[in-house]
Amino acid sequence: MSAAIWMEVLKAKGRKIWLVVAIMMAVQLLWAGWAISNKDANDLAQGWLFFLYQFPMLNCIIMPVIAAVVASRLSDVEHKGQTFKLLETIIPTKRIFAAKFIWGSIYMLGAALGQLAIMIGMGVVLHFGGPVPWGALVGYLLFTLMVSLTIYVFQQGISMLVANQMVPMTLGLIGGFIGLFSMFFPQGFQKLVLWSYYGVLMQVGMNWDPITRATDFYWKAIDWPGLGLILVFFGLIYGVGQILFVRREV
Amino acid sequence: MLIRALQAEMIKMRHSPMWLAFLLIPIIPAFMGTFNYLNNLSMLENKWYSLWTQHTLFACYFFLPVLIGIYASYLFRLEHANHNWNTVLTAPVPITQLFMAKLIMGWLMVILTQIWMGLLFIFSGLLAGLSDPIPPELPLWLLFGALGGMVVCALQLSLSLVIRSFAVPVGIALMGGIAGLALLSQGYGLYFPYALITLGMRANDPAAPMAVGEIAFLVACAIFTSGFCLFAITWLKRRDVVTG
Repeated sequence: MSAAIWMEVLKAKGRKIWLVVAIMMAVQLLWAGWAISNKDANDLAQGWLFFLYQFPMLNCIIMPVIAAVVASRLSDVEHKGQTFKLLETIIPTKRIFAAKFIWGSIYMLGAALGQLAIMIGMGVVLHFGGPVPWGALVGYLLFTLMVSLTIYVFQQGISMLVANQMVPMTLGLIGGFIGLFSMFFPQGFQKLVLWSYYGVLMQVGMNWDPITRATDFYWKAIDWPGLGLILVFFGLIYGVGQILFVRREV
Repeated sequence: MLIRALQAEMIKMRHSPMWLAFLLIPIIPAFMGTFNYLNNLSMLENKWYSLWTQHTLFACYFFLPVLIGIYASYLFRLEHANHNWNTVLTAPVPITQLFMAKLIMGWLMVILTQIWMGLLFIFSGLLAGLSDPIPPELPLWLLFGALGGMVVCALQLSLSLVIRSFAVPVGIALMGGIAGLALLSQGYGLYFPYALITLGMRANDPAAPMAVGEIAFLVACAIFTSGFCLFAITWLKRRDVVTG
């Protein structure tokens, strides 16, 4: 397996995939800076809650795009060079799928850690109220990673099965947009949409007063059944994706 | 020659799955916008004009830049595959016309998208029970939106020419759309190509005149488009192609 992963590392060399992740993080940083720039001292007292509410919302659109781009970059190289037939003569097909998943996951982990660094960095610099909520931030990292890896494995499956990368890219974007929009719907509906789990696993809620237009953030209980469901989705998508990839004719 | 290059582009587009993105992506902001409008009727009192703000709110920042990014990536997809750049660049067609054929093809798709968005807007309004006449400014909003979209199309074609990947330029388009939202709110929309769609479609206040003035908008569109075309044509003329 380590040889298969090392091959992925070599193939990704010079393809500037980290640059894509960095650009996405830069946009997220800009967004966070812009969102927090018009906050006064009272609002900053709830800065950690504000970020833990805003970032998952933005993730609905940012992380699926990172997943789609990374999966597409890692699979496109094989389609362009028609190298799947070569690879499958020397490595078990399941292992190719697993190696690509593991290497792709590193990028998703990098993006999630980047977000955490943005949050902690801005929180410390801008003196958000209270101590750093390490428990909630670790929870955020784990939940973001879990949802992102599930979306990534979905994207990888389609990107490896369909040579035309327009199809996975379009499906990924449509999924991301539906995920963002599903936040307006009840949780029952949200749990049916893979891309909306960033919202399902949010640890912060928001009260908005339509008269005063004031917002107030509060901690909310973690949706453990939701976490269980996304784990089930992950297992299912990985299994189905792998089976379809193994069975396809090269 | 340009006509023949354009015909070649049309042949390349035949049977492509582009219709999937063209038809489906604009439906999402239309649905989201109408849903938002119906849920906030107490605050959104300007009927068709309010519905327009809700439709364009999501479309201009997220969906249109992405959709145009997909169009542009698709237009260069075949050239980047196999060794097709060698074939394309040894054909007796001037490079300027090669690029212009792709640009015109992209522009056609942008115009068709605007028409589709206009139809979706009218259809959504009727479904939402709006009985007032359709705003007479609608064709103008769509036209100026198309002009902004054409600038983004020229930019995305330049990106898709340089970046030999389908997905990366589309990702950049989405980031550009989100950055456009922030820059527009700071008053720098005219200087950022991705924000021109929002400005052109009067997404923030359709009842008011354009925030930056029509002339300034048209000048910005012309400068950006010429700049991106010049860059792409120079790139194709000066750089050796990478194939495979």
